[in-house]
Amino acid sequence: MTETGVVLTDIRKSFGNLEVIHGIDLMITEGSFVVFVGPSGCGKSTLLRMIAGLEEVTDGEIEIKGRNVTDLDPSDRGIAMVFQSYALYPHMSVRENLAFGLKMARTPEREIDARVRAASAILKIDPLLERRPGQLSGGQRQRVAIGRAIVRKPDVFLFDEPLSNLDAELRVSMRIEIARLHRELGNTMIYVTHDQTEAMTLADMIVVLRDGRVEQTGSPREIYENPANTFVAGFIGSPRMNLLKTEYAGDGSAWIGKNRIATQIDDKQVAAGDRLTLGIRPEHMNVGTDGEGTMRARVDFFEYLGGTQFLYCQLEDGQTVTAEHRSPVPVQAGEILHFRWQADDLRVFDAEGLRLRPLDRCTAQRGQSI
Amino acid sequence: MTPSTTSLSKLRRARKASRANGAYHATGIAICLFFLSPFVITFLASFRHGTEARLPPLPPWPTGGISIDSYLSLDTFGAGIWQHMINSLIVSIATVVLTVAVSLLAGYGFSRYRFPLKNVLFVLIIATLMIPFQSILTPLFIILAKMGLNNSLLGLTLVYVTLQLPFSVFMMRNAFDAVPKEIEEAARIDGARDLKLLVRVLLPLVLPGVATVAIFAFLNAWNEFLAALILLSSNEKYTLPVLMMAVRAGRLGAVNWGAVQAGVAVMTIPCLIIFLLLQRYYMRGLMAGAVK
Repeated sequence: MTETGVVLTDIRKSFGNLEVIHGIDLMITEGSFVVFVGPSGCGKSTLLRMIAGLEEVTDGEIEIKGRNVTDLDPSDRGIAMVFQSYALYPHMSVRENLAFGLKMARTPEREIDARVRAASAILKIDPLLERRPGQLSGGQRQRVAIGRAIVRKPDVFLFDEPLSNLDAELRVSMRIEIARLHRELGNTMIYVTHDQTEAMTLADMIVVLRDGRVEQTGSPREIYENPANTFVAGFIGSPRMNLLKTEYAGDGSAWIGKNRIATQIDDKQVAAGDRLTLGIRPEHMNVGTDGEGTMRARVDFFEYLGGTQFLYCQLEDGQTVTAEHRSPVPVQAGEILHFRWQADDLRVFDAEGLRLRPLDRCTAQRGQSI
Repeated sequence: MTPSTTSLSKLRRARKASRANGAYHATGIAICLFFLSPFVITFLASFRHGTEARLPPLPPWPTGGISIDSYLSLDTFGAGIWQHMINSLIVSIATVVLTVAVSLLAGYGFSRYRFPLKNVLFVLIIATLMIPFQSILTPLFIILAKMGLNNSLLGLTLVYVTLQLPFSVFMMRNAFDAVPKEIEEAARIDGARDLKLLVRVLLPLVLPGVATVAIFAFLNAWNEFLAALILLSSNEKYTLPVLMMAVRAGRLGAVNWGAVQAGVAVMTIPCLIIFLLLQRYYMRGLMAGAVK
C-alpha cells in the first residue's frame, strides 16, 4: 500500500484579478518522482512555489504526508527546495551553507556535523566544505544547493529547473546524479522543468501543465504513447508529433490530399464532415511505395544526425510533416516520398483537440479497469 | 622575415609599451600629488612653532623644529578641543547608528514588502531631497524647542538623521533590490524569519550599501555647520565646525593661523580613518557566487 506524499485539492492562485492557476487537483504517492512540465508561463513554477510555501495559496488545500500545510511557514512543511539560481549564501562557506537551516532549527552541534558530513559524502563535496560559493564552479554550486536540501531531511524535495543554468554535458551528469539520489534517498521529489528530456528520463509521473491547468498526468510512457489531447501530443516528443488537419469522411476514414487514411474511428464518434486532427510521430513515418493509405510528400530539407535523419516535408495540401528516416539510403531535397505507418501508431483528435480512441479498444480498456 | 627584424620589431613594441606605462604612472602620480598636497601642507604646517605660524606659508613645513604649539593654542578656544571633539563624535556616531538602523529597515521594507501607496511614499521620501534644509531651519528650531531638545546634542542628532534619511533609504532600497530574491526564499525555507533573516542572511549582502550610508552620514554630520550653529547655543555643546568658525574668526582681529591649521588637521583625521575603514566594503564584490 503506497502512502500519499503530497495531495493538492482544488489549488487556485490569483495575482490581483488575474487567476493563473485554475483549480488543480493532484495526488502524488510517497517516494515518487513527479515532474511538472509545460511551456513557460504555464504556472508550473508557481505551483511548486505554492507547495513550498513561498507563494500564498488563494484557494484550495495542500497536504504533505497527511498533514494540512496550506498555512504553514515554508520551514515547517517538511520540504526543501533547490533553486535554478542555486541561491547559496555567498558570505558563508559551503559548510555554513549546509548547516544554516539546522542551526536555525537549533539542532545540536554534533548532529549538524554528522548530517553535513553525510550529505557532503553523498554529493562528493567534502573537499569543498571550507570554500565560499564564489570559488565554486556551476556544477559544484548546484551540488551544494542540493546538499543544503538533503541535510534538512525533508519529506519532499522540490526542484525548480535546477539544471537549466548548467552546460549541456554537466546537465546530463547532474540529471543522472539526481536520479541516483532519488533511488538512494527514496523521498518524494517534485521537479519543475521545461526540458522534456529531463521530464522523460527522471519522472515516475509527468504532469503536463498549460495555462494553469493540468492537461494530463501519467507515466512518461503513457504521456508519450497516449496523449490526451493535441497540446500534450505536440508538447512531448522531439521533433514534435505531426498533427495534420483533416475532415472525417465517414466510414472510419479521412482524406489527406488525394489519399484516403484509415483512422479506426467509428461513425458513432464523429459525423462525416467533422474536423479531425491526425497525429503521427516522426519515427512512425516509414518511407514506402505508393498505394492505399500512404501520404505523398516532397522533402523540403533534411537534417543528418548520423544514426538518423529528420526529413522536413510538405504534403500536397501544403501541410508540413516531419519524418525520421533511419535508412542509410540518402535522401535528396525536392525528392517525392510516400509515407506509410502502422494503423496503431495513428492518434486521432476531435475538433476540440481531445483524443478519440478506437471504440473497440475503449471498451476493452474499460473492461480491464473494472 | 629574418630573426633580426623580428627582434627589432619586438624591441620597438616593448619600448612603446614601457613609454605608455611610464606616462600612465606619471599622470597617476601627478593627480595623487594634486589631491594629497593640501592635506600634507596643512598637516605639516600644524606642527610649526607658534611664532613661525604667523609667517608667510612658504615653505609649508616646520623650519624651526617640530612643535605642538598650534594644538595647545587650539585647546584654548571654546571649551577645549577635547570637549568639542567628543561632542562631534557623539553626534556623528549617533547619526551613523540611527541612520543605518532606520534606513536598513526602511530599505528592506520598500524593496521586499507589498503595501498600498508604496511607490507614492517612496517618491515622497526622495522628493524631500529637493528641499534645501536651510529653508526649514526655522520650523525645525521651533519643533525642537517645543520638544525641549534645543541646545542638546540629541536634538541635533535627530535633525541630522532626518536630513540623511532620504538618501540613505534610497541607497538601502537599491542595495536590497540587488539581492536575489531566491536567497531570501532559501533562507525562509531554512527557517530564518524576520529579524533573523535580515541580520544573518541579508545584512552581510547589503554591507556595501550600509558602508556607503555610514560614510555619508558620518561625513555630513561631522562637517555640518549651519544647523549646529543655530540649534546649539551654549559653548560646551558646540561641535567642531562651530569651534573652527570661532578659531577662524580670530581674537581681537588677529587670526591664529597655527590653530586654524591644527583644527583642520583634527577635523580631517577622523574622516580619513572612517573612509579607510569602510571603503573596502564597497570595493569588494560581495555578491559573487550567490547565483549563477
